[in-house]
Amino acid sequence: MNEQVNLQRIQRQAGLCLRRVSKSFGSVEVIRDVDLDIEGGEFVVFVGPSGCGKSTLLRLIAGLEEVTSGDVLIAGKDVTEEDPSDRGIAMVFQTYALYPHMTVAQNMGFGLKVAGRSKTEVEEKVGQAADVLQLNDYLDRRPGQLSGGQRQRVAIGRAIVRDPDVFLFDEPLSNLDAELRVDMRIEIARLHQKLGNTMIYVTHDQTEAMTLADKIVVLRAGRIEQVGSPSTLYDDPDNMFVGGFIGSPKMNFMDGVMRQNGVEVAGVILQTRPITNRPADGTPVHVGIRPEHWRLAEEGKTAVPFKVGFSEFLGGASYLYGTIGEKSCTVNVEREAISERGSVLNLMADADHICLFDQNERRIR
Amino acid sequence: MNAVTFSDQAMAASAAPTQRKGRLRYHTLIFHATSVLVALLFLAPLVWVVLSSFRSPAESTQPPIPPWPMDGFSISSYDRLENFGQSVLHYSGNSLFVAVGTSMLTIVVSLLAGYGFSRYRFPLKGLAFVLILSTMMIPFQSILTPLFLLLAKMGLQNTLIGLVFIYTTLQLPFSVFMMRNAFDAVPKEIEEAARMDGVKGWRMLVQVMGPLVLPGVVTVGLFAFLNAWNEFLAALVLLTDQSKFTLPVLMTAVQHGRYGSVDWGAVQAGVTLMMIPCMILFLILQRSYIRGLTAGAVK
Ligand SMILES: Nc1ncnc2c1ncn2[C@@H]1O[C@H](COP(=O)(O)OP(=O)(O)OP(=O)(O)O)[C@@H](O)[C@H]1O
Ligand SMILES: [Mg+2]
Repeated sequence: MNEQVNLQRIQRQAGLCLRRVSKSFGSVEVIRDVDLDIEGGEFVVFVGPSGCGKSTLLRLIAGLEEVTSGDVLIAGKDVTEEDPSDRGIAMVFQTYALYPHMTVAQNMGFGLKVAGRSKTEVEEKVGQAADVLQLNDYLDRRPGQLSGGQRQRVAIGRAIVRDPDVFLFDEPLSNLDAELRVDMRIEIARLHQKLGNTMIYVTHDQTEAMTLADKIVVLRAGRIEQVGSPSTLYDDPDNMFVGGFIGSPKMNFMDGVMRQNGVEVAGVILQTRPITNRPADGTPVHVGIRPEHWRLAEEGKTAVPFKVGFSEFLGGASYLYGTIGEKSCTVNVEREAISERGSVLNLMADADHICLFDQNERRIR
Repeated sequence: MNAVTFSDQAMAASAAPTQRKGRLRYHTLIFHATSVLVALLFLAPLVWVVLSSFRSPAESTQPPIPPWPMDGFSISSYDRLENFGQSVLHYSGNSLFVAVGTSMLTIVVSLLAGYGFSRYRFPLKGLAFVLILSTMMIPFQSILTPLFLLLAKMGLQNTLIGLVFIYTTLQLPFSVFMMRNAFDAVPKEIEEAARMDGVKGWRMLVQVMGPLVLPGVVTVGLFAFLNAWNEFLAALVLLTDQSKFTLPVLMTAVQHGRYGSVDWGAVQAGVTLMMIPCMILFLILQRSYIRGLTAGAVK
């Protein structure tokens, strides 16, 4: 019986497909020519700076906004012209958007009631969702009598009850305090494992994006900058924007010049990994190195001089903020290496982890 | 020895906490005194009316100074009111019909208009809204004659329905404004969540938005009821048939005593009766009404 249910779920996992989707508000183009393929069962996270169009893209998928041009396909079916309720989706809003005048149970069952399902079926579905989210004790309360975390669970419950192909989350945790956010994050990850549905999740929280996502979509000014797994984006960014946006603290960018046996930074030659489209020697480039990829150089070897500004000790990790040449730079070091302001450390970086970008900020591979 | 001192200290710490009696502040005193004074000022006319309605027939032709009955309580004023024309119940029925009709019609129209102005985009929306509001600046007495002619053309002169239309028209600018604010105070996401749940059309207004703007509806309805209940001039001009009179018009008719004297007693009795439904309504709806006026202050 249970296996049957699982089988059904797996067969039903529906993918999602955006074909050249654009959206303008008046003369302002907010989403520009977005192509995106999401496979059934994937957990996809949209990230990007504020105002880049994450919410708008999600609302286009939901059908709350109409696309200006392009197609939206869910489970292989063109739903561009369909109503939100006919798309097989459910959405969880940042502000929860619960119906204040209904109890928790009524909130969760309202969609089914509107769809004309029988009372027993509604009760059964609501009961199941309440079990999953541990809301059984609160079914008779109103949203106003719940804590923020409980409200968020009710909002998720309302989505589960509709049994959608695709779940949409718009920054669902940003109204919660830090501790609760971690709990709810784990709960959402567990939910995804359990239900196996496709989920699309908007956030500007690095940790949420990295921990939850099978696939991260980085947006900037209405365009997709890069799509990939968290580790791909982290190790192998397509451009300086993605390199700088993913990872915290940020990737360090320095000016460098191509040399025969590597790249010259602050007068020192750093080895790089083999590059296919290698620019000519003497070409200026941007050199990206993450804080944790710096290490103290062995005595006597050539090394980049790093002038310490100040340090941060965070328990597990320690960061030194300072300068290399003129450029500011952050370095993750062992706690023994924490040094006084003004002292100079000799650093080296692994060839494997050095990313080079051209003057258009595109990756040189 | 040591143990004793420790326990002494413990005793001192656990002794009753210092009692604080709340300091007497002069401004709280002044505040309360002023409040009582203002409350009395507001109450005085009501008390005056109620007291003088119980004066005897002989007294009731005199202006009610002092207001209280001098030679014993009597309900003769109420008798005279009751025996004027048809029964006072009949006129109350007229008033009730007009007031309830006005508030119902106002609620329906302003609910729809407020929803439209709050949630839909259409050409000249801003201008239309300002125009509706600006009609509040026209004193309606100045357009009474054209209104009367219009109603006569429609065959609605001397009918209570015609009066309901006029009152609703006068009530709408304020009501549409109130309802638009009430709808504006409802977060868009709730409506979007409902759209996700498959709610459409009337259902959205009745099952989702309705309960959320209920305080606004109550406020609008109450204002319409009270204004229609108390309105005098339009009713006087439009109603010629004595059996159609509403209570305020009845008051003027009833006050003419014998030989041109004023029957103060009957008027006071009528006013007392007129106040009762308003008070009951206000007391019942008080909570939602007050919330309605502060709608939007709290999410
Ligand atoms: N209804 C609208 N009318 C006009 N412009 C809009 C509308 N909704 C969004 N925009 C604009 O579209 C752009 C993208 O908005 P969107 O809400 O998608 O950003 P976001 O990436 O979700 O940002 P945030 O992280 O702050 O939530 C913004 O510049 C915003 O001003
Ligand atoms: Mg957003």
